[in-house]
Amino acid sequence: MDGEPLVRWKWLGDHLGYLWSLTLDHAGLALLPVLIALLVALPLGLLCARLPRLYQPLAAVFNVVYALPSLAVFVVLIPYTGLATKATVMVPLTCYALAVLLPTTVEGLRSVPESVRQAATAMGYGPWRRLAAVELPAAVPYLISGLRVAAVSSISLAAVGALVGQGGLGYLFIDGFQRTFTTVILAGIVLVALLALATDLLLVLARRLLAPWAVREKGAAR
Amino acid sequence: MIRFDGAAKRHPDGTVAVEGLDLDVPAGRITVLVGPSGCGKTTLLRMVNRMVEPTSGRVLLDGADVAGLPAAKLRRGIGYVIQQAGLFPHRRVIDNIATVPRLLGWDRKRARARAAELLELVGLAPETARRYPFQLSGGQQQRVGVARALAADPPVLLMDEPFSAVDPVVRAGLQEELLRLQSELNKTVLFVTHDIEEAVRLGDQIVVLREHGRIAQLADPHTLLTAPADEGVAAFLGRDRGLRGLGLRPARTVAVRPLNGSAVQGDWKLTTDSAGRATGWLHADGRRQDAPAFHPAADTLRVALDAAVLSPTGLAVAVDTEGRAVGLADRAAVLAALAEDAHGR
Repeated sequence: MDGEPLVRWKWLGDHLGYLWSLTLDHAGLALLPVLIALLVALPLGLLCARLPRLYQPLAAVFNVVYALPSLAVFVVLIPYTGLATKATVMVPLTCYALAVLLPTTVEGLRSVPESVRQAATAMGYGPWRRLAAVELPAAVPYLISGLRVAAVSSISLAAVGALVGQGGLGYLFIDGFQRTFTTVILAGIVLVALLALATDLLLVLARRLLAPWAVREKGAAR
Repeated sequence: MIRFDGAAKRHPDGTVAVEGLDLDVPAGRITVLVGPSGCGKTTLLRMVNRMVEPTSGRVLLDGADVAGLPAAKLRRGIGYVIQQAGLFPHRRVIDNIATVPRLLGWDRKRARARAAELLELVGLAPETARRYPFQLSGGQQQRVGVARALAADPPVLLMDEPFSAVDPVVRAGLQEELLRLQSELNKTVLFVTHDIEEAVRLGDQIVVLREHGRIAQLADPHTLLTAPADEGVAAFLGRDRGLRGLGLRPARTVAVRPLNGSAVQGDWKLTTDSAGRATGWLHADGRRQDAPAFHPAADTLRVALDAAVLSPTGLAVAVDTEGRAVGLADRAAVLAALAEDAHGR
């Protein structure tokens, strides 16, 4: 294999469609759990904001889950979800994302200055309505920061899923390693990085659009 | 009218915030609750909109016990302004102001139109409407806070140290603005402050509180300054209360010597511009100093005395509404007005 170059450009050119479909696969595998986690974190966060005693134990549970090695969790789940199903990878990824998103939701809701909360109450907002109309929008910058961390780490973790038969771009690493084919490994690394970068960029853009008022804590410092 | 009827607040741990207060807050006037921190003034204020529930006694709003009204509904009918303004960071100024009308079910267009009116009423430029709170100065934020409290035209306005966090110059402007608004709107205002100067400036009726919400004195500003109920109140008012009392008395009783032609006093000569406004005192040796002035019809004795004290000639310039110099008053004339006023009372 002396003649094997670092990158075989021709192979790349011939397999563009294949790489694209793997990338899409990977994006779905990694980001769908983040979306599900967000949908769970929002109501759960609101509940925790209203019932602080619920938050501590819940946060502790998710922290422990976050500490578990992903590969181990995938393997443990196989008997329940089956070897080659997406659920084996997506269930743990959802839990990891939730471990990031629940605290950021709660912290975001709590970040609202006391004076704002009191003003809202004094104007006739009930507690739930105030959470939804005042505290939740004010938490958007926090939520998006949380989403950035959760999305990027989910994209990176999803690659490990290839070891249990699911993994989008992660498959390229296994394939390249078995065939000592560096082109495929490098393509996988670059595409994972690009996917993470693109996702992050989209979220930064979303923050600008959804929270144009959140200019670097200036308002909050007042 | 708001009536406190033995309203008391005891915390579960046994500490007493307010011992039991009887007080009438007359409709259409500004009543100021003033006292040191811990005297229970904010607690009392919050009993009115049920952000604090009294542990005994009642608070009546136009004869009805507020405890019997749904809290959210009650609050939408009461304006509330706090020290930090408490504007919603994620809403533009216009939508901050429109908050209560929207809660009351007005459609967006009508609520915004109303908000735009209020923006003008509190003296903010129309382009402020599109800004976010973080883009405003502290004084502007407070104005928006006042506009927001007034948006649904509530008859009652609760103000909890609304101007304490801004610098003195801005504060004076905001106080003046409140008095101007009140002269147009005649709200029932309950205003809390720890600043006796502010209380005297704004209040039609001042309630000086001691710890546990006990009333040390209830009086109009003039009576408070000239006849404090006891030494404690006198000490709270400060040593220059007599001088500050001048700030409540009109300057129109000062005898003004009409100005015909040029005014000369010793080596000093009053100079005026083409419109007749005083530009300063000019000394024979070429030195120039300001010519402090007062407007007899609008200013107080305090301003007149200040002008006479600061003038290099001892003469205060009297001006008309357009700012034209129309006369002069010396220190003796101001002091005579003082004495006369004191006897007249």
